[in-house]
This record gives sequence, structure tokens and C-alpha cells, in this order.
Amino acid sequence: MSRGGEFQAALYPLLLIVGVTLGAVLLRGTLTLANFTLIYILVVLVLAIQRGTRLALAAAISNFLTINFFLINPYYTFIVADPRELLDLIIFLVVAVLGGQLAARAREQASTAQKRAYEQEVLYRLTRAFNQLTAGDKVYDALTEVVKIDLGASVAVILPPGSASTEATETTYALPLRFDDQIYGTLRAVFGAPPDPAKLRLLQACAAQAAMALHRIELDQRARKGQQFEEADRLKTAILRSVSHDLRTPITIIKTSANNLQRLGAVLSAAERAELSVSIEQEADQLDQLVGNLLDMSRLQAGAITLNLEPNSLEEVAGDVAARVFQRTKQERIRLDFPEDFPLIAFDYVLLLQALTNLVDNALRYEPDNQQIHLRGVVQPSEVQVRVTNHGDRIRPEDQAHIMEPFYHGGRGKTGLGLAIAKGIVEAHQGRLWVEQDGGTTFVLALPRGQQEEAHDT
Amino acid sequence: MTLKILVVDDEARIRKQLTIGLTGFGYTVSAAENGMEALVKIAQEQPDVVILDISLGSEPDGVEVCRRLREWSNTSVIMLSVHDEEKTKVQALTVGADDYLTKPFGMAELNARIIAVRRRVVPESGAEQKAEIRVGDLYINLAQRVVEVEGEAVHLTPKEYDLLRLLATHPGKVMTHHAILKAVWGSEYGAMDHYVRVFVNLIRKKLRENPARNVRYIINEPGVGYRFIDSD
Repeated sequence: MSRGGEFQAALYPLLLIVGVTLGAVLLRGTLTLANFTLIYILVVLVLAIQRGTRLALAAAISNFLTINFFLINPYYTFIVADPRELLDLIIFLVVAVLGGQLAARAREQASTAQKRAYEQEVLYRLTRAFNQLTAGDKVYDALTEVVKIDLGASVAVILPPGSASTEATETTYALPLRFDDQIYGTLRAVFGAPPDPAKLRLLQACAAQAAMALHRIELDQRARKGQQFEEADRLKTAILRSVSHDLRTPITIIKTSANNLQRLGAVLSAAERAELSVSIEQEADQLDQLVGNLLDMSRLQAGAITLNLEPNSLEEVAGDVAARVFQRTKQERIRLDFPEDFPLIAFDYVLLLQALTNLVDNALRYEPDNQQIHLRGVVQPSEVQVRVTNHGDRIRPEDQAHIMEPFYHGGRGKTGLGLAIAKGIVEAHQGRLWVEQDGGTTFVLALPRGQQEEAHDT
Repeated sequence: MTLKILVVDDEARIRKQLTIGLTGFGYTVSAAENGMEALVKIAQEQPDVVILDISLGSEPDGVEVCRRLREWSNTSVIMLSVHDEEKTKVQALTVGADDYLTKPFGMAELNARIIAVRRRVVPESGAEQKAEIRVGDLYINLAQRVVEVEGEAVHLTPKEYDLLRLLATHPGKVMTHHAILKAVWGSEYGAMDHYVRVFVNLIRKKLRENPARNVRYIINEPGVGYRFIDSD
């Protein structure tokens, strides 16, 4: 504090006493000594509450002298003529000193309690903020902000762990953010003036809270990483299981059929021979599809797909899918519904054909025989959707969250890869794939609309 | 005279199976296991059709072999590829391959492709090009520039008609987006491949294609281009 401030602090009690004395001297003839002593006790109490014990004591003594000098006969001397007045004066001094001290103490206690409450509040806010954070650097931000705003530090920075420790002075502090044996950095705070002990305590508490939050975040991250490993592990197990079953079955059929043809070719009827060779071909197709799925899945998961982005029409993709279904089933199992002027957007045709084929194949497995899958194109301001609706049973709630996970055998799906691949492809295009259940079960494939160009008939 | 076919694949088992299968269809088959051997055999034996694997595992690869042989031979070339080689397929078609087939395929499919590429060779040397094309409910009269579906006239803009005629006069032949663009719009339209997609979609609607019943005249070759349906 400046000297001017000290001067001002001393000026106010002085003025108060002088003012009261001036009034008292003017009313000397009207009021009694009892009135004056009570007024001066009031002055002491007021100053005690406002300024504390030391000033209360000084005020009590100076008031004692003032009363003696100005208000007791003979005036303007320190002589007391009447012994009763001397008694009054002594009692005044005792009451003023005791009362002043008590009042000042009470005031100090109240202000300490208030400070404590403030500290608690700052800490509480900090802790709550820390608990919501999931990233270490956010904790650092919150800590330096609190130290600067609530604790009034002019500088607050976090030094990385292991950086050279700065000299601590009266106004500069370097607090390690330590939890257990881990140090998460050092808080360096610079104050304009040496902080009081309470502020220092708060600073230390903040640093400790920050260290705890950093420790919790580290544990969280470790747990999450563990979960990812677990996920990858689960996938690997599922792949192995699927490979051993889904791959071995067609291989077994191919091998036994070929073996039968080889050994019994001469004795089998033409129809039997044809049946064997047809099953070899079918199982080989099955294998081809499965291997393709496994390759796609691993490429998608490794992020190794390169998109051949060209302006294409999802309507054309849907048409391709529908035509292939008709070639395969010889039935009109799909109803196409696309608006005029369905826009071209940039996507990889081959991959989207794969994604939509998987969605439609999945829908066909659940579609009642007498009904048609509905393939509908929807144009929205920011995206283009293809909605694949089947009218079979609803997806069980317990399956819904998992149906797009690889190898999830919830329903009648075969390898459990189709939907996961579709989702991977759509997401590689920054698109979305989700399920809606209303009249039937609808898988919605949505791709963002980029800029589109119009072709001119020139 | 039987057709002579050269099978080029670095995988011995595939060469063997294809040789057996194609011989069974009545062709005279020989085989080569790398690009250099293939070029030598093409020069010596002058096969009618070359079945050429895109990835031969050594230099020169299938696309390069195709590029080189096109400098002095107009034999028909069918490339063999696997999925995810769309860019390579386009390259192969650009340097002069006539068609491609994605592994795994059936022998009947391969035979159909052989017959198709051979049929496209014959008219050039022989008779006049047909003046009429009839596929399903679609009728095109090239002389009068008339297009009808189910007996009703279809109005096409000049560009739409040019595109349809280009595809329809090459039935069964895969044409890349870029080749179509160049033929219909001209080479100055360089990178505007999407014009082709827009126009094909317009034409599909006018021809009343119904993919849900597999009624299609223009077949999509994903990532490569289009092919007009081969009616025979």
C-alpha cells in the first residue's frame, strides 16, 4: 500500500474524533458528562468494527484524554476537579478499551469466516470444473484462469514437468502439481504484492486439486485405451471364429464334392454329377463373397480405403442394386422411388454400390415374401438420403445398438459383416447410416451434398 | 477355322484351367506366363483373342503389354482383373483393351465375352452397319434418327441421341466415361465426365428403364463406364 493510503487510513478516525469533539464542546452547557462518555464509547465501537483492535485501543485512549481536556472542569487542562467525574472517566476508559477490543475481535472473526467461505467457493468451483474436464490441457487452462482472476495473480503459467525451477521470491511462487509420486507440471504464479497466508493456502489447494484432476484424467485415458484394445481383441477373436466356421464350411463342401466327382464320376448319373459341380461353384462364390467382406472390413478398419470420388447418382446405384436383385431372384422384390432431378454428388461408385447392396441384402432377409422392399431417395438441403425400408419384424431393442458392429450375429445375418461394412463405407464418405423404426425398419444412408454442377445440353 | 486364343497369366493353375476350359469350347489355346513371352507369342501366332491378366507380377504388366501390342496389332484383348482395380481397368481400356472380366468368373461368362468381342470385329471387315437396332421394347432407327419405346416415339435432344447411338452401335462393349465424353462432346470437354452420368440418367428415364424388373438398356460398369446391353 502507498503512503497516501496509510495517511488516509489515519485521517478518517482523526476527523471523526475531532468532529465529535467540536460538537461536544458546542453542547458543553446542554449535555451531561454521561451523555458525552456514551457518545465517545460509540465512536470507539464504530472504529473498532471498522478498523480492528489496534485502532480501537488508540481511539479509547485518545477519547479518554479528549474528554478530560475539553469536557471536564476545569476545561483545557488534564486536571479533574470533581472526584465523581474522575470515576466516570476511569470507567469510560475501561469500558471503551474492553468494548473496543471485543467489537474488533468479533469483526475480525466475521471477516475470517467470510474469507474462508470465499476460499471454499473458489475451490468448489475449481473442483467442479475439473471434474467435467477430460483433457489435461483444459485443466491447465482452468487453473491459470482461477489463479489470475480469483487470486489476482498478474502472471500464471504452467511449466512442463522437468523444466528448470524458477527462483521463488516474495511475489513469485512455483508450485509443483503433484499427486502421489507423479508430477504433472509446475504452476508459476506472480503476484503484484506478497499474497497473505490465506491466499497462499488457496493457491496451494488449487494446485493440489489440479494435480488430482490430471491424475484422474490420466487414469480415464488409460482405461479407455484398455477398452480399445479389448475391442480390437474381441474383433480378432470374432474374425478367427468366423474364419474357422464360415470359411471352412464352403471349403469342406468344395473338397468333398470334388473328391466325390473324382472317385465316383463314372458311376454317378449325369444329374448327380451336375449337382456336385453346381455346389462347387456356389460354395466358391460364397467363399469369394466372404473373403471380399473380410478384406473390405480390414481395409476399412485400417483406414486403408482410398475413395475414387466422382460426381455420381445414388439413383443409379439403387437401380444397379435393384437390377441385380431381379437377376438373382427373378422377382420384383424392390420398389424404387426417386424424385425427378435427384442430384449428383461426389462419391465412390463401387464402394457405395457395395454399401447399398449390403443394406438391401440385409433388408431382403427380413422382408415378407409377398411384400417389396422400398428404396426411396430423399433430397434435403444439406444431404442426400437413400432410405431402405423392409416390413419384417422390428429389430429387437437389445440388438439395435449392436447391429452395425462387425460379426454381430443378432438376427439371420450370415457373417455379421454386411452392415458394419456399409457403415464403414458411408462414414468414409463423411456420411451417416442409422436405423429408424416406424411402419417397418428403415436403414437411412445419408451423404453430405457438396457443390454440384449442372450439365448443359449443348 | 477355329479361333486362336492366347492366355496370359502368371499363375500356372489359372493358365491350366483356362486352357482346359477354352479348349473345351472348341478354341485353339496357347499360354504365356509373362509379358515378354506374351508379346513374342502374339507376334508369332497372331491369336484372334488375348486373355490378359492385369497384374502379371513382373514387368511389363498387363496394361503395358496391351499398350505395346496395340502399336502393331488389332487382336481382341480381354483383361482379367480383381476388385478394386477400377483405375487400372480404365487404363487398360484407354490403351486399347476391348473388355475386362473380374475374377473370379465362370467359364461360360468368359466364353460369352469372347464371342462378343469377336462379333464386334467382324462387321468392320464385312457387311454394312445395321440401320436398325431392336432390344426388348426399344427400337432405334439409325437412318432416320428415330427412337421408340413400346412403339411410342421418344424425344431425345441431339446430345442424348448421339450418346445413345454411340452406346447402341457398340452393344456389349464397355466404354469409359471419358471415351463417351470425347466422342459425344469433343475432347475440349476434358474433365467433365459427370455430363455423361447426367445424360445417361436422363436417357434412362426417357427409355423407361425399370431396374426393379431388370429392364435396362444401358448397363453400369461401376467405376469404369457404360455398356449397351448385348441382345444376342
